[in-house]
Amino acid sequence: MASPSSKFVSEWWLQRISAVIVAAYVFLVLALLMIYGTPNALQWQGLFANVGFKLATILTIIATAYHGLVGALHVWPDYVKNRAVLSVLNAYTWVAAVAVVLWAVYILFGLK
Amino acid sequence: MSDTPLAKARARPVYRNIGFGDLAHYRLPIPGIASIVHRVTGLAMFVCLLFLLAMLQMSLKSEAGFEAFRSVVWGNPIAKLVLIGLLFALIYHLVAGIRHMIQDANIWLDLASARSSAFAVFGISFALTALVAWRLV
Repeated sequence: MASPSSKFVSEWWLQRISAVIVAAYVFLVLALLMIYGTPNALQWQGLFANVGFKLATILTIIATAYHGLVGALHVWPDYVKNRAVLSVLNAYTWVAAVAVVLWAVYILFGLK
Repeated sequence: MSDTPLAKARARPVYRNIGFGDLAHYRLPIPGIASIVHRVTGLAMFVCLLFLLAMLQMSLKSEAGFEAFRSVVWGNPIAKLVLIGLLFALIYHLVAGIRHMIQDANIWLDLASARSSAFAVFGISFALTALVAWRLV
């Protein structure tokens, strides 16, 4: 099942699916900004108190972390040839991607 | 001395791998620039994600936190410039990503279309960034 080629094909598709999820969310937030202008504290925190918006936000952050993880892991070796530096960058990339998701869950669902 | 065969041979151009010193003589075509900027904007945003989450947490924690973000971060000209730069990175990466996916469908692959669409990506993302930044007070 998990032949190298099928891994790359699913990665190719997931990179595009995650991109479409993030793009939809960015268009939504930019549209809200263009329509209503810069929010004040009440409007901003009211938006993030909405359960639907919370779910859209966490979905987008998971898609962002995955998209960034795959993207960065592909881009680093094109420029960094030193093996030790490359493994540090790859490790940082994995830690950052996982940390972003966990922290976002805490901010959206655990704060206060 | 300068007319000796050895000197003439030396005057001929020597082609080696490109080093940093040669970069100024090589001009990357516009689709190549668009591709590099797509990578750079992607990496820049990925590296800044944790800082952006810190700001999101600050802005959502309390009304005082929101006001602290507005005065300390948004009120700082350098921080504001960095955030507007990240906004450009986001919009550019998105617009260039749409072009990328159009090319996935085997459209705009000839040289002329690749050039004009790369120019368009820069134009559209600069314009969109200016529009959004104008709405952010």
